[in-house]
Amino acid sequence: MKRSYRGVVLLSLVLFLNIVCTQQTVNAYYYEKYETVILFCGLNLLLFPVAFWIYKRERDVK
Amino acid sequence: MGQGHNVNGDSKANNKNGKIPFDEDNYTHNIHKDNERSLDRRSFMKLMAGAAGVFAVSTLPWGAIAAKELAGFGNKKYTAAKITDISEIKVGEAIEFAYPGKHDSALLIRLGENEFKAYQNACTHLKCPVFWSKEQGEMVCPCHHGVFDPKTGAPTAGPPRRPLPEIVLEREQGAIIATGVKRYEA
Repeated sequence: MKRSYRGVVLLSLVLFLNIVCTQQTVNAYYYEKYETVILFCGLNLLLFPVAFWIYKRERDVK
Repeated sequence: MGQGHNVNGDSKANNKNGKIPFDEDNYTHNIHKDNERSLDRRSFMKLMAGAAGVFAVSTLPWGAIAAKELAGFGNKKYTAAKITDISEIKVGEAIEFAYPGKHDSALLIRLGENEFKAYQNACTHLKCPVFWSKEQGEMVCPCHHGVFDPKTGAPTAGPPRRPLPEIVLEREQGAIIATGVKRYEA
């Protein structure tokens, strides 16, 4: 079995983006920039399907 | 493998006395210490995907509140109410009124010829009624000597730490009209 850490690296990247987006969401909220809050909240929500897709793709590859 | 009834020496060495510990499924010796802490790649990726889900859910409340603010549900609606005629209040004087409800006492101060300020005058410390001190040029709370700046409503001395809520004013045909209360902003 060939070992590939691509999925691990990609998911780590996704989680990093998650942290950044969450931080930006909260910051923008306290600066009352509500459009920015919605933007980063949307990005954060989008990252979950992306993460799930990466996970599924790496799981099914054999 | 035969258990117990195998009598040759070779088998005896492998099976001890043929009983303990015998090689089969059991409920007491099934913990494999070598494996119990192993985290394989798939479990790790599963964990990461789950974490992404948790992050997504955790930002939902912020997004919801932001959407609410943008849609304008956060702003209360106030009905405009006439406070007084301009001719009835001299420069440097103040009058008390009630806005928005009849029990929400408030203070209108005429700071200059065309400068009016109005605040809800319940002290932000313990709700004592703040009065306008013409001599000091400040709003003073008699209970614990809290002092507020009449230009901004910000506390300048004493125990209060939050500003007085400012009332939005408009001038209309020689009268002062209250149209709303500014939102509290820290």
